[in-house]
Amino acid sequence: MATQLVDHSALKVNQTGIIATVLVAFIGSAFYRPLLVLIPLLAIVLLVGTFAPQLALFKQLYFKVLKPRGIVKPRPVQDRPEPHNFAQGLGGVFLAVSSVLLITVPVLGLALALLVAVLAFVNLAFGYCVGCQIYFQLSKAGVIRAS
Amino acid sequence: MSTQLWALAVVGTVVLAAACLEVFRSRRARARTLGAVAEAAGEPYVLYFTGDGCTVCRTHQEPALEKLGPVRIDKVDAVAERELADRFNVYTLPTTVVMSPQGRALHVNYGYATAPKLQRQLDEARGALQVATA
Repeated sequence: MATQLVDHSALKVNQTGIIATVLVAFIGSAFYRPLLVLIPLLAIVLLVGTFAPQLALFKQLYFKVLKPRGIVKPRPVQDRPEPHNFAQGLGGVFLAVSSVLLITVPVLGLALALLVAVLAFVNLAFGYCVGCQIYFQLSKAGVIRAS
Repeated sequence: MSTQLWALAVVGTVVLAAACLEVFRSRRARARTLGAVAEAAGEPYVLYFTGDGCTVCRTHQEPALEKLGPVRIDKVDAVAERELADRFNVYTLPTTVVMSPQGRALHVNYGYATAPKLQRQLDEARGALQVATA
């Protein structure tokens, strides 16, 4: 199996960033509606980070600030980055759809964004990555070629 | 504020529906898999379905399997060996199957299974073997 060392602390910081941003947008928009702009911004951050990891905002925050200063300790695990990237991209797509829905059906838009945060929380707290399970199903079906 | 409350209600409903669906799915897969046949061995053993994209397998399942002591564990790449994975209805990783010495599935665990749970299942399988040979 072609694995490499993946720093799981970077993934955890990424998940924390997603949860925090969605929660600020969700709760904050009740009092100050323009905060909803955080949802499309987060979608952009996740999608850009999927295709260009050096531009992944939360991961770079970890690698450039939190890790060097010893605020978050590294946790390297033999793993494959592809399923995690896939999960992040899936989150980005859902948030992009959520951003469109926020204009037309705000309740569904907010619900979809909150669902992304819930799934990020499940991954952060219990280590269960729904996006990775979808990646596995697609690999098994031959839709994604596992290298 | 009512928009937020409605959104919470929608998410709650979706999460609840997904949880129910997962319970139904695992029960159905388990019912279909029990009795499925693989290679026979002299004693109970564990079929361990994993994949190179499965993080929980490495961080949780493999340490749990190491705690079991001397037991045969057949590690199977669920993507590379699709036929075997389909036979045991592997829809999530990790999946562990406790096999009888005759190569029949006795217990199926979809998702992470703790060491005590696997140990109990293996003990049951060994107990059944002793009853059969007595």
